Amino acid sequence: MEEKEDTHAEPLDLVRLCIDEIVIIKLRGDRELKGRLHAYDSHCNLVLGDVEETIYVAEEEDEDEDEPPSVKTIKKQSEMLFVRGDSVVLIAPFAGTTH
Amino acid sequence: MSFFGFDATLPKDRGHSTNAPGFGQTPDAFAGLGGAGGGAGDDDAIDFEDTYDGLGDQLDETDDAFNDDTFGGGPASQQKVGKDFDFAGQTSQISNTLQEEQMLFQARQPPPQQQKPHVPQAPKPARTGYESYHDPNYIPQLEARADIWGLKPKQPAPTRQYENQAPPHAAPARKMMSLEEVEAMMRSQSFSDGPAAPPVQPMQYHAQQLLTPTQQQQLQQGQPQPQAQYAPQILQRPQQQPSQAGAPPASRQQQVHAELPGHAVQPQAPQHPTILQRQRPQSNDHVPPPQRHAPPQAPVQRPPSQPRQILQNPNRLSGHGQPMAQSGQPAQPAQPAQSGPRGHALGHARGPSFPGMVITHPEQLLNLSEEQRAAFLEEDAKRAKRNHKIALLSKDNGLMTPQDKNFITRIQLQQLMSAQGSLEGNGSEAALAEDFYYQVFTQIRGAPRQSPHQPASQFAQTYLFQTNSRYGPRRQGRGGDNHMQRMEQQVQRAVEAAKAKPKGKQLVIEGSLGKIAFSNAKTPRPLLNIKRPETGDKHPKHHKSSVADRKETLRNVESVYMTLMHMEDHERSLPPPINEESSPEAIQAHMEWRTKIEALHKSLWQNIKIMEPINPHSPTPHPFISILSHAKGKKVIPRLFRHIDEQERITVVTMIVVHLDNLSVVSHAIASPDEPLTPAMREEVELFSQTVMPPLFAHISESPLNIIIGLLGLILDRTNLHVVARSKIGMSLLTILISRAELLKQSAPEIVAADWEQWTELYNRLFETVEPVLPLIFPGTANDTDDMYVWQFLAAMGVGASPEQQQRLVIGVKDRVMETVAVSKALPAEMAGARLANVNLFMRAIGLDVELLG
Repeated sequence: MEEKEDTHAEPLDLVRLCIDEIVIIKLRGDRELKGRLHAYDSHCNLVLGDVEETIYVAEEEDEDEDEPPSVKTIKKQSEMLFVRGDSVVLIAPFAGTTH
Repeated sequence: MSFFGFDATLPKDRGHSTNAPGFGQTPDAFAGLGGAGGGAGDDDAIDFEDTYDGLGDQLDETDDAFNDDTFGGGPASQQKVGKDFDFAGQTSQISNTLQEEQMLFQARQPPPQQQKPHVPQAPKPARTGYESYHDPNYIPQLEARADIWGLKPKQPAPTRQYENQAPPHAAPARKMMSLEEVEAMMRSQSFSDGPAAPPVQPMQYHAQQLLTPTQQQQLQQGQPQPQAQYAPQILQRPQQQPSQAGAPPASRQQQVHAELPGHAVQPQAPQHPTILQRQRPQSNDHVPPPQRHAPPQAPVQRPPSQPRQILQNPNRLSGHGQPMAQSGQPAQPAQPAQSGPRGHALGHARGPSFPGMVITHPEQLLNLSEEQRAAFLEEDAKRAKRNHKIALLSKDNGLMTPQDKNFITRIQLQQLMSAQGSLEGNGSEAALAEDFYYQVFTQIRGAPRQSPHQPASQFAQTYLFQTNSRYGPRRQGRGGDNHMQRMEQQVQRAVEAAKAKPKGKQLVIEGSLGKIAFSNAKTPRPLLNIKRPETGDKHPKHHKSSVADRKETLRNVESVYMTLMHMEDHERSLPPPINEESSPEAIQAHMEWRTKIEALHKSLWQNIKIMEPINPHSPTPHPFISILSHAKGKKVIPRLFRHIDEQERITVVTMIVVHLDNLSVVSHAIASPDEPLTPAMREEVELFSQTVMPPLFAHISESPLNIIIGLLGLILDRTNLHVVARSKIGMSLLTILISRAELLKQSAPEIVAADWEQWTELYNRLFETVEPVLPLIFPGTANDTDDMYVWQFLAAMGVGASPEQQQRLVIGVKDRVMETVAVSKALPAEMAGARLANVNLFMRAIGLDVELLG
């Protein structure tokens, strides 16, 4: 990526590019969020709109230890979410739908 | 204090140079050399205590209580004491009497005088040793002493003999005022100050008052003078005492004995001065000579203080004695009167070099056995030797400046380094030049050896020590920086030589499986060695470019927003409007504001990327259109329109119209009954129609016909009208254009006919193009409610259409009309009314009504 002069002087400027865009947020505790990024700050505290939260739960299968545990997903919808920054692992733009 | 002659030499004491004036001083490298060169055995290694006279400890503040008595205001002397005394003059007046009395006393007391032969003889051996190193600075004091009392002519023979020896020392320089001069000065001051008594009178008064009762008694008896004179002498100038001490001590002692036989302590008391000065009390009467008789004595006392003074402040030496003499002068004569012999002794304790503890000593020592005294004498001789050595050593003290020492250190380091360098070579100079601090740091911190055969970091140690002491000399020597720099360079090279890094980056020890990697600041030791796969996944170029474009677009959007915010912020700081009466400052502010806003405006126009050249065949959309593909890019348009001028608005409208089928809200928003729009796209279209369309609509609805003609022509020429017509946004735009033109036609029919012809031509082209897709322009089935914009478009088309075109329009949408009417009948009245109203928009435009269908 070529550098533009004044647009990203720091890493969070990349997040700035995602303002008002759909982003995928990976959180601690096996959670993911997908929603429109409304705001962020230097702690990666985020405000998301129209959020779909996905929680991955590993299901214990006692009878068969060898098999990797199957993963169950729980999805939640939220109109607006505040995400505390200390749980944010990753912020990625969601480029799926637009093009 | 090794007053008792203890040889307090310890190994560690020898480490501390006797030449060093204080504890803070760095060890003198030549201390040991000097000791060896002095030829003295190690028995006389010099203790610090010997070099320290302890003057500070001896300051006796307790007897200050007698100051009042001395200076007046106390009970003893109620009358005011003036400053116009003249001891010297008084003394000289009675000098004859003094001499007579002395001679008389000597005649009366033969035994003490018999000891005198010892006096000149004994000092001689010691004296010869001292004279060689006797400091010239000391001499002025001797000289001043000598004539303070004006005793020279009146001294008895033995004393004169001494004085013959003393003058050579005393002659050179006289820096201090003699007592006579001081007194003369004081007297002259007091005379000038006010009515003064004749000089002699106060003197007599003083003399009487200051003397002890005993002394007064002596005065009356005609023999007191020697005593009276003697005490002040001693007290004021302890060092000087030897010059008068030849005969008087013994005789005086006898005198006192005779006069106050009942007093137990008295016999020794007059002796104190002498004893104390020498620090050798035991030598009183029996073995008086070497210490008591004098010139040698002064050096003996001196060495403890003298070297130190010389080292610390050579200039101070001469001045040092003066204040003491003056302060002692008035105070001490009174003390014998007040406190007797003990006070006398205490008074002496204020003198330059009397330890307070000594006071009791002479009394004890008088009772000592012969061998003990001999032992003390021996000790004394030792100390004399030691002092001699100190003087020898200290005479060269201060010759080397800190810079000199640095220089020597540097040379030593250089030699050390060259020896080391020949061993190891200096391979890594460049590396050290790169990261000197890292290297030094690792050396000092004792970082793990970087190679097994690396020697111990002795240079690091050297450097460590140098670092610790390095700022002391540097601060002192202003010119020493250069030396320090060079020395640091030496150290640097030394460290670097010690470094002697192995050549490679890894070391494999023979027989071992592992490798040792070396690191420095530039190339840290790699903890992981991962081979990158040679076949890097080559992303398809298309994908990469699209991602890059997306990012670029987002950046453009951000920069546009930044500029917009700056502009809006700047607008808030708009200075008050100016008129012709405005002050130049206001005009200036306004001009500056305008300049700024213009710059921002230019920047905004640049950031919006609307002026980028249009490349119809480019695979990627125009940057401005890309901006519009993002929600925030759409939202920026209304704000943008507020800040741009008319021409730029036309540009924006034109750009959008030209790329109408490239807009994502057009090309990706072609809905059909089988394939409805995704919610996201519907949202996007909704956003576009709410944000971008209103400014466009506002602009078009004020545009003249030629603009409308131009825009419609661009749409017909440059875009795929089938796509445009099947999208809500495209159809809305077409509707706006057509209705604006129709409005213009109805409101101002007088406009140039040529324009109308052009418009009609364009309209016909549009009709011809749209007619085939008329059945497809509805986004959904008849059940879908969101078709108003289509009816609006049809209505706009119908208004401007010719009757024949109207007929074709009706044919094209007849089915839809009938379906909608049918559906609306099944709907609740309210919704049915809305649906039918939409249809009626079109029906009425062509002169029909839904009611007719029913």
